[in-house]
Amino acid sequence: MNVLIVEDEKGLTAELEIFLANCNYICETCFDGTSASEKIATNLYDFILIDLGLPDYEGLDLLKEAKKYNPEAACIILTARAEVYDRIKGLDLGADDYLAKPFSLLELQSRMQAIILRKFGLKNSVVLLGDFLIDLTNRTISHGETLINTITKKEFDLIAYMILHKNRTLTRSQLSEHIWGSIVNDDYDSNYIDAHIKNIRKKLNAFAPPDWLETVRGLGYRININN
Amino acid sequence: MKLGTKLTLFNTISKLVIVILFVLLLPTLIRDINQHYTDNWLRKQKEKVLKIVKGPGIKNYIQNGESYGSYNALLKEEYVSLDVESGAGNIDTILNEKRLVEGDTIEYRILSHTFKVDKQKYLLEIGKSIDTINETTTPLQNIALEVLLGMVLLTILADQVYATYVLRPLGLIIKTKLIGHKFPHHTPYKKVRTTTSDFEYLDISIHKMIETIENTFQKEREFISNASHELMTPISILQSKIENMFEREDIIDEVKVRLLEMQKILNRLKSITKTLLLISQIENEQFLKEDKISVDLLIHEVYDEISIRLQDKNINCEINIPHDWFLVKVNKFLLFNLFFNLINNAIKYNKEGGEIKITGVLQNKLLAVEITDSGIGISSEQLPHIFNRFKKFSQSLQQDSFGLGLPIVKSIADFHRIKIEVKSEPGSGSTFKIIFPDGVIRA
Repeated sequence: MNVLIVEDEKGLTAELEIFLANCNYICETCFDGTSASEKIATNLYDFILIDLGLPDYEGLDLLKEAKKYNPEAACIILTARAEVYDRIKGLDLGADDYLAKPFSLLELQSRMQAIILRKFGLKNSVVLLGDFLIDLTNRTISHGETLINTITKKEFDLIAYMILHKNRTLTRSQLSEHIWGSIVNDDYDSNYIDAHIKNIRKKLNAFAPPDWLETVRGLGYRININN
Repeated sequence: MKLGTKLTLFNTISKLVIVILFVLLLPTLIRDINQHYTDNWLRKQKEKVLKIVKGPGIKNYIQNGESYGSYNALLKEEYVSLDVESGAGNIDTILNEKRLVEGDTIEYRILSHTFKVDKQKYLLEIGKSIDTINETTTPLQNIALEVLLGMVLLTILADQVYATYVLRPLGLIIKTKLIGHKFPHHTPYKKVRTTTSDFEYLDISIHKMIETIENTFQKEREFISNASHELMTPISILQSKIENMFEREDIIDEVKVRLLEMQKILNRLKSITKTLLLISQIENEQFLKEDKISVDLLIHEVYDEISIRLQDKNINCEINIPHDWFLVKVNKFLLFNLFFNLINNAIKYNKEGGEIKITGVLQNKLLAVEITDSGIGISSEQLPHIFNRFKKFSQSLQQDSFGLGLPIVKSIADFHRIKIEVKSEPGSGSTFKIIFPDGVIRA
């Protein structure tokens, strides 16, 4: 899939490019609005990541152009201007999602995945993990014929996030940013992820040992899927 | 007491004192005036009598040494008497004396005058009864009192009207510029109309002061907002770099642990920046207040988010809020954060196996939510400072918070005109009472 990254901070652009290339996206970058406007008018993209705070261009104008010349592309707004009005305006103009800086690259990937699922209606949103069948669309976990209903919303969010980033160690910070990201409080070192994982293991163990949920000592957690 | 009231009160009291003094002095004054008048009259009568006596001769009145006397007949109000005087020396006095007239003892104002005709000394007495003199005193006194009282009332009224008129600009200045003035305050300067230069000066001075304060406030807010925004991009770059490095296969676990520590520190920086940005956004009123939510539902949403922390510390949480309490014209995201931070604190500063009670209460007709914990409590010296930014008290908890939880709560509460009362007993727990203003909550 083709991604256009419009971001004037070269350091951030480079990291976005490395990360997305690793996830098998084909990336193009530009650091100002004028060249972005040209690229948008001439090439076709699947994703356009737009920084609203461009030095030479009104980011929202770029969004309008993108909707005009690249109507198929999904636009994600990246900005440090986390004002609510921008948020509303951005979504009104047809942005598919909105990420406030600073954001986790994994969060960006999960948002892009969600857009792909939505746009292309991918069928394979059911994942088999050991003896468990996890339906990401309907948000259910079942063991054989039994539907497991003890898993809470937060716990399912964690499992789904780890499945999306399968075979990759996720740190506690990354996990807590995903499930508590919108809450502003003054705790920065939340170890509650451990408590959640403990609960998930306990609940699933009642059916079968969830060996696929691995603790990476000192680093975090990961879900291993071999295929 | 208001200036206008004070002025009116002073005017009234001072005028009343003057009137009372005057009325008390009035009898003496009138008596003196009357006496003076009477004495003058008596002297004129004397001149007349002497003229008469000189004309026809004294012999017409005094024959054979018998005295002459004349009264106006019935009431004996006045009398004139002429007599031969045998004593030595001259008399010329006006005195109050009693006389027996035809069996009645009557007090008179009497002019006594001796004069000589043909080497014979005579005594002339002209009297006017005191009762007659006093007859005029009482009505005079009454009239004076009435006129005075009327005049006093009139001037008080006039004073009151004028004072109200003159002080009106002051009242306006107080009402529009001082009472209920909140920062930030975006309304432009509106001159209070007055012809009194003092008030004009006061108005302009207050306006200038407010402007200065607001500019400072505005600059501080802008600074926090800009600083937080500017920090977001470098933090974002750092975070991405760490995340990408973490993914690299050629990095050994020991380095990864280091990266993780860096990520944690970065998270701390991120939280602080995000929190400051949120506070500045709230203070700049960049949030809409258009949501309607059930209080019970909101608290339960917070509970769902936070239940893992309750479990972790084995804390029992009791929620008791009427189902029909609704918040209107609020920002749900902000109120969620308000309750999240308060309940999170109730957990953080609680004992293992402690308790939290969240109850809806009615206080002076206002609805309120009380969050009571069985935690370490707050000492009375610390209590006034708990809402200050970056204030931390509990040393043991320094590791996982940076002292912005309650400042967020305060900003959100102010934005919604919510009042927060805190009561605490060190060692046995704290109670935070969130009192909603009229019109925000509906039962």
